Amino acid sequence: MSLRKFLPVRSGVIASLVAGLVIYTLFPVYWMVVSSVREKAKLFSTEIFPDAFSFESYRTILTLTDFPTYYLNSILVTIATTLMTIGLATPMAYALVRGKVPGAMLVVRAMLFAYMFPAMLLAIPIQVFLVHVGFDDSLISLIFAYSSFTLPLGVWMMWSFLKRFPFEIEEAAWIDGCSRWKAIYLIILPVTMPGVISVAIFSFLLAWSDFVFSLILISRDELKTLPYGLSSIVTAYDADWGVIMAGSTMISLPLLALFIFLGRYFVAGLSAGAVK
Amino acid sequence: MSETVQQTSAARAHNSRISGLEPAAAEAAPPASRRASGGGSVLHRDRRFFILLLLPGVVVSVATIFLPVLYAIGLSFYQANSFIDTPVFVGLDNYVRVLSDPGYWHAFFNGLIYAVATVVLQVVVGIAIALILHQPFRGRTIVRGLALTPYILPTVVAVFIWKWLLDPNYGLINAAAAFFGYPNIDWLGSPLLAWSSIIFVSVWHWTPFVTITFLAALQTVPEELYEAAKLDGAGPLQQLFFVTLPVLRPVLLVIILLRTIFMFNKFDIIWLMTSGGPLNATEHLPLLAYNKTFMEFDIGGGTAIATTSFIFLTAGMYVYLKLFPLEDRE
Repeated sequence: MSLRKFLPVRSGVIASLVAGLVIYTLFPVYWMVVSSVREKAKLFSTEIFPDAFSFESYRTILTLTDFPTYYLNSILVTIATTLMTIGLATPMAYALVRGKVPGAMLVVRAMLFAYMFPAMLLAIPIQVFLVHVGFDDSLISLIFAYSSFTLPLGVWMMWSFLKRFPFEIEEAAWIDGCSRWKAIYLIILPVTMPGVISVAIFSFLLAWSDFVFSLILISRDELKTLPYGLSSIVTAYDADWGVIMAGSTMISLPLLALFIFLGRYFVAGLSAGAVK
Repeated sequence: MSETVQQTSAARAHNSRISGLEPAAAEAAPPASRRASGGGSVLHRDRRFFILLLLPGVVVSVATIFLPVLYAIGLSFYQANSFIDTPVFVGLDNYVRVLSDPGYWHAFFNGLIYAVATVVLQVVVGIAIALILHQPFRGRTIVRGLALTPYILPTVVAVFIWKWLLDPNYGLINAAAAFFGYPNIDWLGSPLLAWSSIIFVSVWHWTPFVTITFLAALQTVPEELYEAAKLDGAGPLQQLFFVTLPVLRPVLLVIILLRTIFMFNKFDIIWLMTSGGPLNATEHLPLLAYNKTFMEFDIGGGTAIATTSFIFLTAGMYVYLKLFPLEDRE
């Protein structure tokens, strides 16, 4: 066999494929960051590696637009959605796995089915209803609307995590005199933490990135969240690409940070049914 | 989902094993007294306790998911010309009106073609990337992480990055084209180019999901199968088509199903790329439903479109699952 001759060629092919892959995935992201820190005079330059930097685009978007307000709104809505999703989905999934509740599988299936509902089939009636009761255009309704897709995902993911859990440990704790709550707190919670973190990451990701629901449910400028806010900056201010890329970079930062530090939970969550 | 089914039956077996341990009498004992005794009775299963845990989540999901969907279906039988109008019952009129509009079918087929094209490309590109990332090379773990980046970005960001790269006057891609002597191309200007751009950006944005799922599945293919195939003289391509893909068929079927559902429902990417233009060329059903409801304030029409779109999707899922049953696979 000509294995020795074959190997260098093979690794050369793989190296160039990997290089191509990295450029394909990362160059657009790199271009976003580079464009955001280019000097205004050189915005349309095609230099791949600029030699001078300027934060003027950042100054523009942070001082001349409502971007900081959108940022605060996004932080508020995303954290509230994440906490609500964990708070509701974890006990629900625990009860679905552990309790002999009649129709438990039906609930699980309904949740999976609900996750496939088109956004329009949810956002339109929610908005019509909110206008009718006079509670439209508010961040609280946005948070509840977000739970229409984070909750099914959260229940489904937690359920997948929990059903692999050996509950004999919990029963052993009961035998040792633990109360039900104490056993959940001492035994179940620590073991399910990876699941909880995955659900948190995905709720965060979905709420932070959502465009459709805020487009439909929010109309006051001071209540917009980042994705919708940035897109309305684009239309309202005639912003140049440097400013838009500065905004895009700032929207992406928390997600990239989250991914860098908690990437393994992200992958675990993906395989446990995060699918959007 | 095949994995799910498997796990479900495992969970069921697990549960029944536990209930086998439990004395039948415990079920009948009053739960309150047991709770008061501070967990004195071991292995209790308190129905009320579990219902208490379930209730808040069930209430919120009924309120934010199931009631809105029922409300939407209800609204589709009424005519209302504004959000504060009192709706008038019109029976199936909205459906007749909406479905007899050629624009509806134009949007329907647009959406169908978009979903099929993006899913096929995501699966092919995703598998190709997964196969590259499955090879041993230095820095593999890091590259695997990096390859996920487009999926992490919010859709708005992915769209703006590419709109900037594709900008007809100043974008890098046209600059590169100019360098090779090509004239400026308006990437979102003609129907065909607009669709190609939307599809390309969608594939760039969402392929990492396929890559990661497929990569995880690749680790489960038994090495012996490849050994056996090699002994039979199979080359790399034959190994892919006769070993890898058949073994991973269940995973692929689930990926294709899920991706199709989500691509069929996607609204934001098309809205942000073209808003349905040029001249409705890239309008699909979610966009049509949005425009009917929020631009024309035709709430009955908009909800009828959303409802029919969901009915088509459910029917499609049903046919798919009949053709490729996930249940009886490993």
